[in-house]
Amino acid sequence: MTECPTLTQFDAGEECGAQAGLFALLGRCLEAEIDERLLTALRGELREPLAEAGVDSACLDGDIDRVLGDAAVEFAALFVVPGAASPYASTFQTGALFQEPADRVARWYADNGFAFRNAHSGEFPDHVGTMLAFVGKLYEVEATALAESRVEAAREVRERRGRFVVEELGSWAPGWCRVAAAVAEHPFYRQVLALTERVLWEELSNLVSARRLRELSAANARGPARMPLNPDYRKASGL
Amino acid sequence: MTKHFNVSRRGFLKLGGTTAAIAGAVGGSRLHAMEQKLGGEDFSPVTGKPRQAVPYTCMVCNIEDGGIAYVEDGRVVKLEGNPDHPGNRGKLCAKGNSGFQHVYDPDRIMTPLMRAGARGEGKWKRISYDEATSILATKLREVIQRSEKAGDPAIRNEIVFKWGRNRTGGAVHRFMHAMGSNAMVNHTNICESSKKVGLEPSWGPDIESVDYTNTKYVLNFGSNVMETAYFHNPNAQRLVDGMVANKAKLVTFDPRLSNTAGRSDEWFAPFPGTDGAIALAMAQVIMTEKLYDDAFIRNWTNVTPERLIAHLAPYTPEFAEKESGIAARDIRRIAREFATTKPAATFSYRGPCKHVYGSYQEAAIHMLNVITGNVEKRGGYCLPRGMGWPQPEPKPPAGKVPSVLAAPPLYPLASHAVSTHMPYMIMKGDAKVSVYMHYYDNPAYAYPSSHVWIDLLKNEKLLPFVVSFSCYMSETTELADLIIPDVTYLERHDPESMPSDLRPWLGIRQPVIKPLGNTQEFRETLIQVAHKIDSDGTLGVKKYFAFKNSEEWMRAHFDNIPGLKEDGGYDYLKKNGVWPKYGKVDPETAKIVDKNGNEVQPEFGLYLKELSATDMAGAEVKPDGTIVKNGKTIGCQVNGRNHVGFGTPSARIELYKESYKKYGFNPLPVYKRLPSRDKKADELVLTTYKVNVHTQSRTASLKYLAELYHKNPAWMNPKTAAAKGIADGDLIRVTSPLGYLVTKVHVTEGIHPDVVAVSTACGHSAYGRLAQLKHRDKDAEWALGGDPDITHNVWWDDKGVHPNPIVRLAVDPIGGSQGWYDTVVTVSKAQPGDKYGDVKVSVEQSMKDYEETLRYAYTGDIHRANHKEVDVDWDHLPKPQAGAGH
Repeated sequence: MTECPTLTQFDAGEECGAQAGLFALLGRCLEAEIDERLLTALRGELREPLAEAGVDSACLDGDIDRVLGDAAVEFAALFVVPGAASPYASTFQTGALFQEPADRVARWYADNGFAFRNAHSGEFPDHVGTMLAFVGKLYEVEATALAESRVEAAREVRERRGRFVVEELGSWAPGWCRVAAAVAEHPFYRQVLALTERVLWEELSNLVSARRLRELSAANARGPARMPLNPDYRKASGL
Repeated sequence: MTKHFNVSRRGFLKLGGTTAAIAGAVGGSRLHAMEQKLGGEDFSPVTGKPRQAVPYTCMVCNIEDGGIAYVEDGRVVKLEGNPDHPGNRGKLCAKGNSGFQHVYDPDRIMTPLMRAGARGEGKWKRISYDEATSILATKLREVIQRSEKAGDPAIRNEIVFKWGRNRTGGAVHRFMHAMGSNAMVNHTNICESSKKVGLEPSWGPDIESVDYTNTKYVLNFGSNVMETAYFHNPNAQRLVDGMVANKAKLVTFDPRLSNTAGRSDEWFAPFPGTDGAIALAMAQVIMTEKLYDDAFIRNWTNVTPERLIAHLAPYTPEFAEKESGIAARDIRRIAREFATTKPAATFSYRGPCKHVYGSYQEAAIHMLNVITGNVEKRGGYCLPRGMGWPQPEPKPPAGKVPSVLAAPPLYPLASHAVSTHMPYMIMKGDAKVSVYMHYYDNPAYAYPSSHVWIDLLKNEKLLPFVVSFSCYMSETTELADLIIPDVTYLERHDPESMPSDLRPWLGIRQPVIKPLGNTQEFRETLIQVAHKIDSDGTLGVKKYFAFKNSEEWMRAHFDNIPGLKEDGGYDYLKKNGVWPKYGKVDPETAKIVDKNGNEVQPEFGLYLKELSATDMAGAEVKPDGTIVKNGKTIGCQVNGRNHVGFGTPSARIELYKESYKKYGFNPLPVYKRLPSRDKKADELVLTTYKVNVHTQSRTASLKYLAELYHKNPAWMNPKTAAAKGIADGDLIRVTSPLGYLVTKVHVTEGIHPDVVAVSTACGHSAYGRLAQLKHRDKDAEWALGGDPDITHNVWWDDKGVHPNPIVRLAVDPIGGSQGWYDTVVTVSKAQPGDKYGDVKVSVEQSMKDYEETLRYAYTGDIHRANHKEVDVDWDHLPKPQAGAGH
């Protein structure tokens, strides 16, 4: 979408702005619990565009406290409590919290003028929601540059955004969204995760070759690998 | 050989072979095998840069070894032993090496959680530490204010704190005393409490430190020194030193062929719970054959050899053979070897003492060292050496009213409490609870009849508000209302000292990295809660927590200790991890040596230290030699010299314990036949054991360790198995009066034919995905979380079966220890429909066990029937009261 050569500079800037808003929204939904302000937006001006994108926010209708409470419980179960779908690149890539992927991502943030500051304990820079929000921020910078006719600056930030999406999100985030959506019990999160997956694939398909896209698709399809067990393998210690 | 070296092959071989054979005569080269560095520095294999080395004290288990954490880019990448630490001398065990995985475990609780659904339903909301501490403060303040309003300090005991491992250096006591509550319940009665109560009235605080390095003979009763046990790593090192370098003999009594038993010179498998009979028979041989140390008994104990000979007369080796199954001739021979080989020592830990009447068994084993004069000798059986630290002023006074949970009235001698009784007492209405806090504790998994704890923890009437400080979703924590997660041991502060060497040391646990993801150490949580309870200071709580942070609290402990203060206090410990520095560990001998290469010797004969003239000023010497000053015993006079003696009322070793007699127990060590000894022929005794790479309940989530050990088939003797038609690997049903479990069998000769043994550490129903192997149950959950180790590297599909639900509650009426090895079971092939891992147990049946075990308490009918020999006014035993005797 953003690479479309027929778009005018104005159109491109407008589209970047829209992408910025979309990534910011997805990042916000995955990074923290829904609060009253977000709920108002989801029920109001965002209802129609979200519905078009496949997210029916009618599931958030009803008593505010109950809705927010249910959503918070689902958020914790999905992304916070032990046993959840750990939303961190480090966990997905290394099996441990706060490893090199967190450093890499933090460097990306710093190099682009952002610093990570957690709102709750136990949050790290490589949270998928924060990373999506960062993509949104880069889109925003690009949109501003285009609006100010700083074409070279826009190209430069577009290139950086592309690298970030491919290098830091491409090999795992869409697959993670699929897994998380599969176990989500709340329809809102199921739909938002599914939307996030679609948006990421769209983004990636605009950034890489068909061959690379197939490689990324395979990487994201990672499933459990069963190893053959030898029932005769026993030791005196009982192992 | 070649055109350049014109020698025949035969000649070449002769030349080379001869030279090799006489290498010593030819002389050495300048080249030597490179000496392995003991540690203390490490480098990044990628950049070559030195890694930051931060000393700390381990806490994966309770041995508290000294370690060095290597930190790279703010991340712990490796742990190793602190080479300056006198206890573990630069070495860590498998558990210690793996401990950093706790920090980065994806299933760690990283933020406070508030229960959202029904208790145990698994529904939570994320809240901040600030919100969480405010909620807890509100609950606690309500109890305090209700107590104030009613003018009833007993209400404060509705605030209950239970811990499994409390290494906070006094923080929990400070907090609870500031609340005005005494309702603190430890875990010691599922651990070694009856060992302590068997020893402490005899010689003062805590258990023996054996000088393994310099001994010639070790008699090991049921301890697995080389794998687990108290001071596993330090003791294992020293025992190997003693066996290899000093040619010490090791004799082990254990129903199971542990790795210690397997490495012993002799292994005997007695019937469980009969160690005391063996020890008493050995003592009988030593006394009747006059192999004892006459002077030591007369000068340093409160009994005479003649009295002991008379007391021990019934305990012949033949009697012990009948009870234990160990041949009388072996008992006699080993008794003679033990008495005539100098120096010698016994060691026992959780074998003999973890039975009903375990205190008697421990006292009998202890007596062997006393009558042979091996106490406080080089190579002998020594008092523990530790160091204390002052508590910051002002210190809160204890609560005004004793707590029946912390000091059950029916167990006045159980100075380390009877924590197993807590759920039963609450269920029976003996104690009311308003706020229940638990820390490093998992009774829903780790206790006998663990289902009773689950029943209690689910009961919102009996436990209206439950708070967990755990950073793991354990079987107990998942039943909490509020979780305020502590950090791991590598991110927190504590003062430490343990008698893991004969040279006492003081250590520090300090954050080697900042608490991960802005989590908060427990100590900081306590400060915040105290300040919120008493924001204006009117409740008298806040003043005891006038610390800006944990570091300031640590400085208050360390900065005024004489000697350490001059060396730099807290700053010294922060830099070095342990104080004092006795010398360097010699890389070849592993001994601690001074700058001249001489070993820094520990001090022996502590009890012989003489009192100074200042000490004696105003003191009175009693007719029996006891030296008393200001109403307190400060030593005893022996042969005209004034010694500090032992930590008892007479300052001598009190083999005869007046405190026991007061409640109708035999004041001298005796053997009491247990009900399990009278089991039917086709029944077995269930024993449990720890393994070398796991703690009992907290390490199944560590990847290195889970891969090493994760399933626990029941050990059964081939003869026993054959008689039941059971073959190796079969699915079996193990049934106790509480119910049954279904597991697999491992048929081995390394177990007594009357015993079935199942290890702990396996079979978790909580504690993270790895401990539960959840991924094997359900593919969606398998992939959930995306941990590639779980997805790709977990090759096993068996998490084991936890034995504790079928273990019956049965406690030693003296020391209060749980009789872990007293449950009689039947074992049969699994029945149709049985599935591996099935566990079915009855809370009602466990309640009956509680009533049954109370019959052994000093007020019970079984107690009286079992102690007819004790000359006491049975109708006028002291009335039960909370805190009496504790």
